[in-house]
Amino acid sequence: MAKFLVTRILSMTVTAIAVSVVVMLLVHAVPGNIVQQMLGQLGAGSLEARASLESYFGLNRSLPVQYWDWVSTLLSGSLGTSWNRGIPVEQLVFTAFQVTLQLGLLSLAFATVVGVILGIISSLTKGRWPDTLIQSFNILGLSLPSFWVGAMFLVIASQYFDWGPPIRYRSFAQDPTVNLQIMLLPVLSLGLFNAAAISQFLRELIIGTERQEYVRTAYSKGLSGPHIYVKHIFRNVLIPLVSFIGVISIGVLGGVVAIESVFNLPGVGRLIISALQTRDYPLVQGGVLVLAGVTMLVNLIVDVLYVVIDPRITYS
Amino acid sequence: MFKGSPKSLPATPSWCARLCIALLLALGVALSLAQSSDVAGIYGPDVSDEAQTGGEIIVGLVYEPPALDPIHQQADATTALTVLMYQGLVYTDWDSDVQPLLATDWTVSDDGLTYTFNIREGVKFHDGSDLTAADVKYSYDYLRDPSSGGAGSVYLNAIDEIVVVDDYTVEIRLSSPNSAILAGLDNKLSGIFPEGYWETPNAQAMLNQQSVGTGPFMLEEFLPNQSITLVRNPDYWQPGVPYLEAITFVSVPDGNSLLNGLRTERIDLSLLARPQDSEQLTGIDGLNIEEQVSWVQKSIDLQAGAGVTANEQVRQAIALAIDKEQILQAAVQGYGAVIGLMPAGMQDRWGVPLDELPNQGPDIERAQELLTEAGYPDGLDVKITTIIGYDWMTPAAETLAAQLARVGINATIERQDLGVWINNWGARSFTDITFNDWGTIPDPSLLFDAHFQMLPVGNDFRNWENEQATELLTLAKQATGYEERHEYYAQVQELMAESAPTVPLFSSYIVAVSQDYVRNYDQHPSGWYFGLIKTWLDD
Amino acid sequence: MIDAGLETTTYRPLTGARAALRRSWRILSTSRDLAIGLVLTALLAMVLLFPGLLAGHPPNDIDPSRALLAPSAQHWFGTDEIGRDVFSRVIWGTRVTLGMVSVALAIPALIGFVLGLVAGFVGGPIDNLVSRTVDLILSFPSMITAVIITGILGPGLRNGVLALCIVYIPMFYRVARSATMTEANLSYVEAARSLGVRDATTMFKHVSRNIVGQLVIQFTVLFPAAIQIAAALGYLGLGVQPPTPDWGAILNQGKNYLFNAPWISVFPGLSIVVAALGLTLLGRGLQNILDPRGR
Repeated sequence: MAKFLVTRILSMTVTAIAVSVVVMLLVHAVPGNIVQQMLGQLGAGSLEARASLESYFGLNRSLPVQYWDWVSTLLSGSLGTSWNRGIPVEQLVFTAFQVTLQLGLLSLAFATVVGVILGIISSLTKGRWPDTLIQSFNILGLSLPSFWVGAMFLVIASQYFDWGPPIRYRSFAQDPTVNLQIMLLPVLSLGLFNAAAISQFLRELIIGTERQEYVRTAYSKGLSGPHIYVKHIFRNVLIPLVSFIGVISIGVLGGVVAIESVFNLPGVGRLIISALQTRDYPLVQGGVLVLAGVTMLVNLIVDVLYVVIDPRITYS
Repeated sequence: MFKGSPKSLPATPSWCARLCIALLLALGVALSLAQSSDVAGIYGPDVSDEAQTGGEIIVGLVYEPPALDPIHQQADATTALTVLMYQGLVYTDWDSDVQPLLATDWTVSDDGLTYTFNIREGVKFHDGSDLTAADVKYSYDYLRDPSSGGAGSVYLNAIDEIVVVDDYTVEIRLSSPNSAILAGLDNKLSGIFPEGYWETPNAQAMLNQQSVGTGPFMLEEFLPNQSITLVRNPDYWQPGVPYLEAITFVSVPDGNSLLNGLRTERIDLSLLARPQDSEQLTGIDGLNIEEQVSWVQKSIDLQAGAGVTANEQVRQAIALAIDKEQILQAAVQGYGAVIGLMPAGMQDRWGVPLDELPNQGPDIERAQELLTEAGYPDGLDVKITTIIGYDWMTPAAETLAAQLARVGINATIERQDLGVWINNWGARSFTDITFNDWGTIPDPSLLFDAHFQMLPVGNDFRNWENEQATELLTLAKQATGYEERHEYYAQVQELMAESAPTVPLFSSYIVAVSQDYVRNYDQHPSGWYFGLIKTWLDD
Repeated sequence: MIDAGLETTTYRPLTGARAALRRSWRILSTSRDLAIGLVLTALLAMVLLFPGLLAGHPPNDIDPSRALLAPSAQHWFGTDEIGRDVFSRVIWGTRVTLGMVSVALAIPALIGFVLGLVAGFVGGPIDNLVSRTVDLILSFPSMITAVIITGILGPGLRNGVLALCIVYIPMFYRVARSATMTEANLSYVEAARSLGVRDATTMFKHVSRNIVGQLVIQFTVLFPAAIQIAAALGYLGLGVQPPTPDWGAILNQGKNYLFNAPWISVFPGLSIVVAALGLTLLGRGLQNILDPRGR
């Protein structure tokens, strides 16, 4: 296990370095920089003003020098300062990630609870109407674009219920009631798709496990249904389920981007997009790097969870 | 009021100061009255006694400023807010007139080269220090130096020297007469800072955490992508103003969330992302919708330096193919006014009527003739560029493409990221036709000079490089009387309409929506938030 | 590609047209998913191939005087802000959106297939290099990768396809690689090797044939998700250039008129649902037939 962790973390580090180089190159390859946007149409012609601002941001130096400068900042334990905002990048990224992660985790929790309940009901009533109903829900849910569902929710809430989410963002720590009101519709929009995915996955999984030899043996020994469910089936279903939720969680993180824009949430997707638009290089680079780190970390956690749940699995 | 008392007058024995004293003595009480009402009249008419002090207003913000630095961030989104925190010597009022702000008054020498400003006394910066003439000189010297990195330096390039006469008098000396200099000292890309401010470390970045102006509001907190909170400046120099205790601008880039917030009373006041959105708010009780003609214009620019549009006849054909009314309808559902070469808010004072300008379409036959004369009897291909994030441009471009198709011009549309677009713009290398969206302080010199004069005064991004226009613009700037200036600018407009390096299409309305308990918000035609200074909340 | 997959499974042992018909009928009647999926996909294919038959108006016909009209007998899905017929745009948009997604999946399927085949069969440093690169791409959620790439390269059909390709190569690569590795351990590969058959021949002639089925399944499984990413790109304004009718782009326009003209947003959204639904069902049905163990 320890060896596995070390190898994984090492390879993650290599990937992170590669990400940093690639992102740096890509970002600098886009035409235009922050200075032109600061000067706008009016100042675009002033070469003096442009030169002065470019040297202010160090944009007049060569790319390797700029990269090295950024890496040294990273090594000193900071992500640098946002050029536009004048605020440390880690602070901006951290604030935004709290929003994104909360939304992601709530959606995942909602999807898991609903998905597991539906999946169990559907596998228990296989072939009968509740199963048919739930399966229809699953397939429909998997086909719904979450950003579109979100927009529709917003219109329906506003037109028919005269209600809308609070406009001013508040974190859960600042004001739990307001925070949960803000999160309600986005969590539902993102959660529907994933609840359907989990429910669908779990149904197939349970039905597949029921067909396994040892379960049949248990039945033939005259053990009761609930007993078999808890003791045999659920245990065996747990690992694949956890890994599936792990896979989904990455998708949830991605789905957050469009949802943030629909519901106006100050998350990491909007942060990176707006930084990209204004060519705020330290912010783009820092945001993308942290995002990659978080994604890799989620993958690692899922892998580690396997071992925790099922000690038979070992990594070498 | 202290401004009226003679002891605040400059002790300089210059002729203009003596003139001032003479005037003052002659007018006596009358002037004193005029000046005190002048203070009260700043930022709009006085509010009646019923105005209540206190309360926090939630303002929806569609375009969040990238930063709160009034000098180095040209984005209008920045200026819209920074005018509440930073002030110049003068400001432009709702009727396009330049009015005193941190200057109480000024005199101009006979040769039009020296402007002497009397600085308001008793004004404090947000950091507690007093405003003096040295701060004024320092700030405008910084502003007019291009190497400071501020775009506003182009407005002030006529200044030769700024001289501190005494603590409350400043002389601005020009190298040539410039009738637009007062407008140039205005709030856009401007603001007076304490002397030496820009030498402090991280001066630019610090402005996102702390304001150091003299304005009625001070920065409390800037949370990017979330909100910007301003609080009342307790030491503000205008008595009784502002009424609001705090303003929170909440970033709401999504138009639907904004509308939803207004419908559900979660937003007290907001400018709409698109003027036509007001149709989505009709029939909702308790909302006031105010439409304002603006100083902003939506136009297309034509590349005069390269490609097919370098041919003047092709440009004329394009201009003649355009049905501006239809584009106005498509872009903003008719919520605006079709324009000639002046933004709608400047048309009355400076504009040539549309029916007196050449090449105002649609005239399909003439356009086709011109194309044939230009050597394109079978039509030609052009590219139209629009900018991502400017929602009106897509339907406008689609409509323009359809209109051009009628004269045999086959257009393809390319949406560009703002950063890429501005890069091409600054390099003067955009292709064929580009949509544009820009505004101005309402002086034709500030509107035209940077865009249409040749180097070194202007930078002609469209590569039009018209010597006659440059000459006319120079004469117009140096002329002093309104009549004379008006005549020159009329000639410039005719020249531009004839040669068509740009085709301004329309000015859209600025639509401000507020809940009915928000009182006395008067939308300024710039789209900036001057109106909040005298706004109050009724409980 | 979908049709090709079907043909091999349902029609292969041709013993006469009637037998074939009966055979496919049996498969279809046992798999409701496949039947509905096929019908929906066929419908979409029809629309995609012959949009002109259905659409009553040209998709880019502008007339601001009939802007924002509600759905009526004349304009089934209403009109947009410049008076274009939304129904016609949605119909023509089928070709743009589904065509874009098909290409954006077919290219990575091919590339992922070849890379996975080679990496899985040859192993060693090649495998290592490709797998690490794939890890790099997978260290971002696919939606975010797509947004960042189109954000950097700028919007447009070509860049959208490119972004989707980059997102989906790893997914095909992984399937192809693991399937190849399983195949490579089978006895026929050993046998071929001992008979002196060149590795390349074995790889491309024999192994590839056996893993194609899994890639076809992967294609149908990924298709609905890819539609959603493509639509989201369009919705965020990073999709095709106007006036091309694309479902995501129509949604992007429609979002400006959500409260007073919801039809501009509702119908393209529903089209996305129908398309995703059809392909999900088709994928499930195919999976059942090709890989019955999964059930």
